[in-house]
Amino acid sequence: MMEIIQSKHWVEWLITICKFGFAFVPVIFILLLIPLERRGAGFIQDRQGPNRSYFKIPYFGRIRLFGWVQNACDGLKLFFKENYSPSGVNKFIFSIAPAIPFAIVLISPCVIPWFAPMVFTMGDEVIRISGQTVDTEVGILLLFGLSSLSAFGAVLAGWASKSKYSLLGGLRTSAMTISYEVCLGLSIMGILLLVGSFRIDEIIAWQEANVWGIVAQPVAFFCFLIAMIAETGRAPFDVAEGEPELVAGFHTEYGAMQFGLFYMGEYSHIGINSILVACLFLGGYSVPFVTTETIQSNIGISLAVLCGIFVVAILAFLHLLYRYARWYKKSAASNKQVILREYSLYKILGWAAVVVFAVAGVASALFFHPQFTVIDGQPVYGIGVALGTALIHILVLLVKAIFFCWIWIWVRWTLPRFRYDHVMNLGWKVILNIALVNLVLTALIAKLLGGI
Amino acid sequence: MLALIYFIILGVIAVGSALCVLLSRHPLYGALSLVVSMVSLAGIYGLLGSPFVGVVQIMVYAGAIMMLLTFVIMVLNGARDSKTPMFDKVSLFVFPAILLLAALLGFALISTPLAFNAETLRGSVALTSETLFNTNNKGPGYFLLFEVIGLLLLSAMIAAVLLAKKNLGSKETEEITEVH
Repeated sequence: MMEIIQSKHWVEWLITICKFGFAFVPVIFILLLIPLERRGAGFIQDRQGPNRSYFKIPYFGRIRLFGWVQNACDGLKLFFKENYSPSGVNKFIFSIAPAIPFAIVLISPCVIPWFAPMVFTMGDEVIRISGQTVDTEVGILLLFGLSSLSAFGAVLAGWASKSKYSLLGGLRTSAMTISYEVCLGLSIMGILLLVGSFRIDEIIAWQEANVWGIVAQPVAFFCFLIAMIAETGRAPFDVAEGEPELVAGFHTEYGAMQFGLFYMGEYSHIGINSILVACLFLGGYSVPFVTTETIQSNIGISLAVLCGIFVVAILAFLHLLYRYARWYKKSAASNKQVILREYSLYKILGWAAVVVFAVAGVASALFFHPQFTVIDGQPVYGIGVALGTALIHILVLLVKAIFFCWIWIWVRWTLPRFRYDHVMNLGWKVILNIALVNLVLTALIAKLLGGI
Repeated sequence: MLALIYFIILGVIAVGSALCVLLSRHPLYGALSLVVSMVSLAGIYGLLGSPFVGVVQIMVYAGAIMMLLTFVIMVLNGARDSKTPMFDKVSLFVFPAILLLAALLGFALISTPLAFNAETLRGSVALTSETLFNTNNKGPGYFLLFEVIGLLLLSAMIAAVLLAKKNLGSKETEEITEVH
């Protein structure tokens, strides 16, 4: 046992253990996605969305956090409801089914690279840490395998519920999964062919060196996106839940946190899939037009730019607040004093954050000049530079992923839903064939031009 | 050492769930145990230095094929089959055959020098593609076999589609569609 512990430097162990925390990123995405979905739906349908719940603090009064409190209330409600199951259900499978998608969501992020491989010196040693939690050469295949397993949750739930609506929902889920797994796999084959590897970090390195996947494989990108949206089973592909037809599909008989687990599984699946699309087609963690080496040699200025982006974002937020506040002051709303009180807290916090980020940015630009040692002709920096680069990479990846999360919500609330046979036609007769033609064309062009 | 512990855990799960496939009364329980067995087998492949084979096991068998199987069980309502007795006259011939096969396999496994070393790569992506598609070193043997298997699967699929479609044009099915 001591040999295993001593085989790595303690910093390496610390970072390796910290990387397990990335398993919870999709779960944190739930916190982001639920308000984004509700307020986004409100935005698209020209209404406010749920934002009335609040908690009280002294002086500032009712704090609503733009609808975040509402979600905390919903979550609490689901947690404290009684776990109810109708008579005649298959108890064991009924209670284990909601856990399957959620458990798989916790495993899936292990193969996603969150930052470029870290190389830094610590004392005399050179330490290398890869960006994934599990450094395996079959990364993307493992993700697809796990996501095809997660459909078992819905299928088993539909069967165990002993209800016709649930059973139909479960059957439709399994049919959807099988059909769209095929499209999903085939549409990324083109980019895998160009890169020549299943490793997601190598796919990202290829995109950093050449062009983003969305430029190299635009057709595959749209096929992949459609198949992904269909695989999460959301509108317009919500034939498995199908509110107009099947009550609520496979989770008709579920309540309380068992329903909540399905709900959380669906949202974190969206989170995982957005991260995956960002990795495969938008260059993952790579910053556009800037290589990792440039970031590392100018780390102080890079961090200063990052702080500057934060400052601009917070200033935009403050601008929004001031406009709302001006509008409320003029309006005849009865609760305008309460709302203005609440906004004053956000203003204080926002200005404080602006000052902090501005000072941090200026300080890092002026005083952060890294030392490096040259190893194998490459400059290798200390741990501070490595951590700073990793931070920038993680944030870039998350921004790209959140953009795709918004596309998910956008599609859901704008397009009308498909009928079941239309979904199957689209999958087998349109997307599959486009993906196949794309694969053959890519192979031909790559052979003729690149000689791969 | 660590790999051995993982192997024992995975092996117990694999064998236990394989026994469940035999002993479970309901076909769906059997299918689910088969899924568990296949996933733990995939883990064992990963331990043996064949991550590619393990992941393909999860994708193809545990994901796609078992999904189809549960689909069929749910559509056909296989629960009616749970009345069939677990042992009948055929078992008299099946059991000795299984024991003989197990003995043969065990003998073959024990007599081959198969050192358990988790570090060596046996079924990695590069190695698999080298074995299957590198026609320079080993001749076109595996390559041709691979292509022929693809053709075989395609013909099987076409046959299945033809068999399923044979009844579509007949009088009975037309009447059914009219009723709907």
